[in-house]
Amino acid sequence: MLKGALILCRKDLALLAGRGGGLVQALLLGLLLIFIFSLTRGPGEAVSPQAAAAIFWISSLFCQVLLFTALYALEESDGQRQALLLAPLPGQSVWLGKALAGLTLLGLAQLVFLPASVIFLGQGMSGSIPGGLALILLTDLGLAALGSMLGALAQGGANQAGRNGPAARESLFSILAFPLLLPLLLAGIRTGAALFAPAAGLEDYGDWVRLILACDAVFSGAGLLLFGFIYDSRE
Amino acid sequence: MRDELTAINANRAKSARAGAGLGALNLVLLLAGGLAMAASQWAIFVHAPEEQVMGLTQKLFYLHLPLAWWGLVSFLLAGLAGAFYLAKRTPGWDALGAAALETGLLLAGLALFTGSIWARTAWNTWWTWDPRLSTALVMCFIYAGVLAVRRLDFSFERRASLSAVLSIVAFADVPLVFFSARLWPRTIHPSIVGNGGLAPEMLAVLLFCLAGLGVFWLGLVLLRCRQALAEQRLERLQILNGENHE
Repeated sequence: MLKGALILCRKDLALLAGRGGGLVQALLLGLLLIFIFSLTRGPGEAVSPQAAAAIFWISSLFCQVLLFTALYALEESDGQRQALLLAPLPGQSVWLGKALAGLTLLGLAQLVFLPASVIFLGQGMSGSIPGGLALILLTDLGLAALGSMLGALAQGGANQAGRNGPAARESLFSILAFPLLLPLLLAGIRTGAALFAPAAGLEDYGDWVRLILACDAVFSGAGLLLFGFIYDSRE
Repeated sequence: MRDELTAINANRAKSARAGAGLGALNLVLLLAGGLAMAASQWAIFVHAPEEQVMGLTQKLFYLHLPLAWWGLVSFLLAGLAGAFYLAKRTPGWDALGAAALETGLLLAGLALFTGSIWARTAWNTWWTWDPRLSTALVMCFIYAGVLAVRRLDFSFERRASLSAVLSIVAFADVPLVFFSARLWPRTIHPSIVGNGGLAPEMLAVLLFCLAGLGVFWLGLVLLRCRQALAEQRLERLQILNGENHE
């Protein structure tokens, strides 16, 4: 399963890097969000570390939606989805491969979002940087696990119009993913604030880390067990 | 195709008999639940003592808590029905899941509404970003999204599979709502049941209200389940009819 997932991940990364569109769009949207939110503070005013962390994660969330939609759109022409389903791979390999590709791309995007948050939102990186980055990665794991599962919802309907067309399905992805990810994002924001200012998020720190781990476990388990029921050849 | 239509016709009499039995049970449950809920109003206003601090507004509690609890039970039922559907692929489990989803969302929405009225009196605000309130609202958003998926024009099998998977995933939020008042101790939402915060008369009335709404809930779920099964049959007949004309 892992070998198939890695092959699929490498193929998706090569395709997206070659075309550029998916990643650039996601990056631009995230950066725009950070920039627009930075306009809410007046000259010389500081954005609180928690608000900055919230803006960082909102940008990451929108970026995640675009990335997984783009990753699943790769197999939406010329019956490639059917070809992928017929390949001698367990269904979970597709989920894991897309999750790994999404995680890599999201991590790359965040390497841009993090300095952008520091610059545009007037933050310092006075917290523990290795610890903060590790917690961002842990939160990303949950985002990727759920994103990879729900991204399959946006599959199909490429030739359909109206309420069941691709646009309707993509918006459904957001409608389902945002509330499901809220506990994880909340934990990401609380722990992320500690990266910008150590005193800001230290309260109940351990509880929030445990919540991140619990969400990672639940979303990964759900993806492994249930992905096969979502990703199929039916429209 | 003709064989399939003949099979549907052959099963019609059997289904009609079973349907009539279920319909009678459904009616009994709804009537009994309705009567119990009416009687619970008497118990709330006559038997239960008036709370010293909040006065009459506290009576909302006897409605709010059963709505919230049966709403959560509905979501548990939707998750279980989803798991059984994925294992058995029987349309009945999908119908039960759909019925539980709709009923759960209705009850959870009403629990939020009654909670908001309570909050206005107790906390002087219609809404506050408290862990219990926030997690309950997020849960309603999640299940509204699942219902939105059910309204898309997928084939029956795909819609049922998606709905089942999402009902199971969405249930991950339910324990968070239930335990939020204990997980985040700074919550201002009271957690009275189990903490000995209720007088015996109040507890008796609360249990009566829970039982009354429970019977009504069962009737409501069964009614929606039967309607969903009828919709499935109509959908199937429409497809068969369309194929026959081609």
